[in-house]
Amino acid sequence: MANNFLKTSRLDQFLDALRLFGELHAPTTSESGVHRFSLLDDPADLNLDYRRTQIPPKKYLLPFREEILHCAGDTYREGHCGAVDMVLFGVHSCDLEGIAYLDRVFLADPADPGYSARRASLTLVGVTCHPDDFCFCPEGTVSTACDLFLAASGDGFHLTSHSVRGNAILAAAEHLLEEGVPLQPATSSGLCFPPQDPELRFSDHPLWEKFASTCVSCGACSVCCPTCYCFDVREYPALSGGCTRIREWDNCLFASHGEVAGANFRPERLDRLRYRFLHKYCGFTPLQGISSCVGCGRCKEVCPVDIDLRELTVAPKQVQP
Amino acid sequence: MRPMKLAITGLTACSGCQLTLLNCEDELPELLARCELVYFPLAESGNKLEVQFDAAIVEGAVSTPKDLELLFRLRNASKVLVAYGTCALFGGVAAMNNMTCSRHDLLQAVFGAAEKLPESFAPAPLANYVSVDAVVTGCPPEKQEIAELLAALAAGTLPPPRSYPVCTECRSRENLCLLLEKNELCLGPVVQGGCNARCPATGIVCEGCRGPVREANVAQELELLLERGFGRDEIERRMSRFKPEWDYGQRH
Repeated sequence: MANNFLKTSRLDQFLDALRLFGELHAPTTSESGVHRFSLLDDPADLNLDYRRTQIPPKKYLLPFREEILHCAGDTYREGHCGAVDMVLFGVHSCDLEGIAYLDRVFLADPADPGYSARRASLTLVGVTCHPDDFCFCPEGTVSTACDLFLAASGDGFHLTSHSVRGNAILAAAEHLLEEGVPLQPATSSGLCFPPQDPELRFSDHPLWEKFASTCVSCGACSVCCPTCYCFDVREYPALSGGCTRIREWDNCLFASHGEVAGANFRPERLDRLRYRFLHKYCGFTPLQGISSCVGCGRCKEVCPVDIDLRELTVAPKQVQP
Repeated sequence: MRPMKLAITGLTACSGCQLTLLNCEDELPELLARCELVYFPLAESGNKLEVQFDAAIVEGAVSTPKDLELLFRLRNASKVLVAYGTCALFGGVAAMNNMTCSRHDLLQAVFGAAEKLPESFAPAPLANYVSVDAVVTGCPPEKQEIAELLAALAAGTLPPPRSYPVCTECRSRENLCLLLEKNELCLGPVVQGGCNARCPATGIVCEGCRGPVREANVAQELELLLERGFGRDEIERRMSRFKPEWDYGQRH
C-alpha cells in the first residue's frame, strides 16, 4: 500500500510541497491575538492548535465586499474576480462542510461567476480539530469535502486524498511520507444540527421575545458564520460618469435586509430572528429541508448577548432563565 | 452637460469636513470638471451667494444667528441641502454639553466675565431648522463617502445608504472585539458603520463619531456596558461626545 503517514517533524517540508499548488494560506494568530486564515510566509507563524478562526474560509470565496460590475457610457464589464491558485491548509471539518454548503448555493445553475472562478482555483487541505465548549458538531466527525485530509495520530498525520488534486499532492510529497497504520475510513460529518420544522419559527417560545429585545443587530453572527451568504448589492455613480456596482455581506438582523420599495417584509427584530431561524435550520428552496448549521460555534462565541437560536428548539422548561 | 452649481460651507464647526473634501486630491480634477464651485469660502475668494444652487453642502451645527441666516439662505437657494458631517447631522462635538450645562455658563467659561458675550444658543443639527435632503456622517466623513455623494449629485441622484453598525465591518476585518474580549467602553454596536472600523482596527474603541446606526439597540448597549463595570455617568458622557441626546430606553 502507498505511504500516507507524515511525521510532524516533516510538516515544514510538506508545506513547501503544498506551495507548488498555489499561494499557501493557513491558520495564524494576528498581533492582537485573533485567529484567522492568512498568507503563510513563515512556517513558524502556523498555528494548528487553533479552535476556530474569527472569519471562516468563506472570505476567500465570497469576499466581504467586491466590485461586481463597472459601467461607463454604453458599455459595462464584470468586476475582476481576483482568483489565484491558492491552497488553504489546516481547515477544520466544520469549515469544510461550510464550504460544501456554499458550493450548493453558488455553483448551482446558474453558477455565480466570481465564486466559481475562485472555488476552482482553491485547494482545500483539512486537519483534525480539538473541539471546545462552543463547538456543537458530533464528536470525531471527519469531513471528506476537501482535496486532502490530515488526521492527527501520534507523532504525525495520516493523509487521505479525496480528489485528483489530493492525489497530485500525495505524489508531490511522496518522498516525505512513510507507511502508517491504516485508519478507519473517514465518515462525513454531514450537517450537524438536524433540520427543523419550519412551523417552529412561529412558536410562542418565550425566548423569541427575549432575543428580540437583547439582540443588538451587530451582524457578528452572520459575518462569522461559515454558511451565511446573504449579500446586498448597491450601485454608486462615479465622478467620471458611469458607475460601480458592489456586492457586500448582509445580515438578516439589519433593518434594511427585508426592505423593499415602500415597505419592509420584516419590520420588527422579532420577524428578522424568525427569518434567521428559518434560513439556518429549515432552509429554503432549493435547499429546503437542509440545515445550514455546521456546528463551528462561532455565532455563540461572538454574540455580545449570548443568543443561541438552537435553544428555541428545546421546550421552554429545559431552558435556563 | 451643464456643470452643477455647488455651495460648500460651514456653520459652527472646525472646518475639518470641508478640509477632508479638499484632501480628496484624486477626485478634485473630476469634481471640478463636473461642477462649478460658486460658493466655497474655505477654498477660494470671490464667492457669490445670490444664485440658485444645485446643491449646498453644509458642515457644522447651528448655534448663532449668523449660522441660521446662512442656513436659511442656502436652503432657499438650493435644490438639495446636504447635512455634511456629524455636527450638521447630530450637533457633534460642539453640542456635547447641551444636556449638562447652560449655554450662558459655557460662554462665560470661554470668554470670562466680559460685559457682552457673543450671541449663541445650544448647537443643534441642521434638521432642527430646515429640511435636509441628504446626509454624510462622520467626524470627519470618509473620503469615499464624500466622493460617492458628489458623484451621485452630479448624476442627479443620491448614494444608497449603509445601515449596519461598526461591528459588522470590525468583525469582517478580524479585529479583536474590544467590548467582549477586553471589556472596553466600545460603542460599535450602536454606531453607524461605513468607516471600515478605522479605530478598533488600531486597538482604539469606537467612540461613536458617526452617530447612531438605524434602529440602534441603545438600551442593550447600555446594559452591556453597565455589566462591564462602567458607571452610568461615564457611559452617557462618552455617548454624548458626538450626539448629545440618546434615548437610553430605545431597543429598536
